[in-house]
Amino acid sequence: MSPIRRSILVALATALIATVAAPAGAQSTLETVKKRGKLIAGVKTDFPPFGTVDAAGKNVGFDVDVAHRFAKALFNDDNQVELVAVTSGNRIPFLQSSKIDIIIATVTITDERRQVVEFSEPYFMSGSLILVPKASAVKSLDELGGKTVAVIQGAIQDKDVEQLQPKASRVKFGKVSEAVLALKGGRADAYVHDDIVILSLAKENADLKAVGKTFVPRPYGIAVRKGDTEFINWVNAELKKMHTDGTYDRLWKKYFADVEQFLIKP
Amino acid sequence: MTAYGFEWAAIARGLPYLLEGAGLTVMISSVAMVLALVLGLALAAISQAPGPVARRLVAAYVEVFRNTPLLIQIFIVYFGLPQLGVKLSPFLSGLAALVLYAAAYNTEIFRAGLEAVPHGQFEAARSAGLGELQILRYVILPQAVRICFPALGNNLVSLVKNSSLVSTIGMVELMFVANDISFNNFRTFEIYGTAAVMYVVIVLALTRLLRAAEGRLLRAPA
Repeated sequence: MSPIRRSILVALATALIATVAAPAGAQSTLETVKKRGKLIAGVKTDFPPFGTVDAAGKNVGFDVDVAHRFAKALFNDDNQVELVAVTSGNRIPFLQSSKIDIIIATVTITDERRQVVEFSEPYFMSGSLILVPKASAVKSLDELGGKTVAVIQGAIQDKDVEQLQPKASRVKFGKVSEAVLALKGGRADAYVHDDIVILSLAKENADLKAVGKTFVPRPYGIAVRKGDTEFINWVNAELKKMHTDGTYDRLWKKYFADVEQFLIKP
Repeated sequence: MTAYGFEWAAIARGLPYLLEGAGLTVMISSVAMVLALVLGLALAAISQAPGPVARRLVAAYVEVFRNTPLLIQIFIVYFGLPQLGVKLSPFLSGLAALVLYAAAYNTEIFRAGLEAVPHGQFEAARSAGLGELQILRYVILPQAVRICFPALGNNLVSLVKNSSLVSTIGMVELMFVANDISFNNFRTFEIYGTAAVMYVVIVLALTRLLRAAEGRLLRAPA
């Protein structure tokens, strides 16, 4: 290989490595966001009542309102936020690859996830419930042995069902909407997910019902990139303000009033 | 600069599960390949029948399946058909969609091959006293297949890669397994990288087979 060609290759390789190893969290996210003039938040679009899209195509939900509130705190304008649709599977990779600044998308706080992201204080408590067709005789997790149970890939229930009901065969989907379709089409006998989404789905779909006692309650947290303590402290301070100025109670009533008796208020 | 800490251990832990997924990828792709070749060839032959009806029906099939995304076809078969009372297993749903999609391309490729054989060949064969089926089998097909081969090879390679779409209906193939592992350990680069390497290996094996088959075809007397 000629020296010139070799040096070109070396230059290319160096450029490639520099790109790949570009610091994800080296610059403070808070600074980047302020300089950019808008916050980029990952929210769900298929998870009522935390993140859905209304008939007009607008993002709505508890998490969406939190994102707007953060934008208002940062820029005094609650529209200075870009909402990026994420799923249980891709939300953490989106954060790690800097496609979003923050995940406000029903992330259950677990030890494994703590290894890779920075979590805020809990802002919601969620257990799991079971969604079944109206005609189903299933009443609890115990009765799901030998049945096909839909779960979401990357969601915590994938492991919960594996541990608590090892006799069930799990079928995994990427989105909530697909799991619901599977249930309606008889592809699955039950669908296990966070209590709040199961209750909302049961309310919206007359042919489905929520059964079971809420199991394994765990907290939701807002997540930012690992090691970004400055940003997570800012998030925690904002969450605290939301509690003291009544915003949290207002959002709670707006989204959870009708299912309140099933929920654990933090 | 925070250098990325590449973790070989993550690959080692995921390897048995990834290989299991690769097994299903090879399985569903190979079955789909054989069926798509047979269906494509049959439809191309039918489209050569005299009169416009057969040709138009085949053309309609090709346009429908070639002009819609494979993902939509998979969802229609898996989620949509059960609402009409047709419930195929997840494997058969994925397989059916892959076959119908790839066969639409194969039909066009075979048709081009058949039509590229000069008309004089038919006439010569006919005057030599061969029947219609004999002409197809001994005169037209050997020439058509040679013409089709490179394009068919491309389509079969696409089929292997397109099989990753059946991960969306819960089929535990290579793409599904890669999602399953990386959604839990968050080592996206390592896991998807390993899956990509596995796809390359599968496709390389396929292209080797194709090249061997092509060599044999070209050597064999027509």
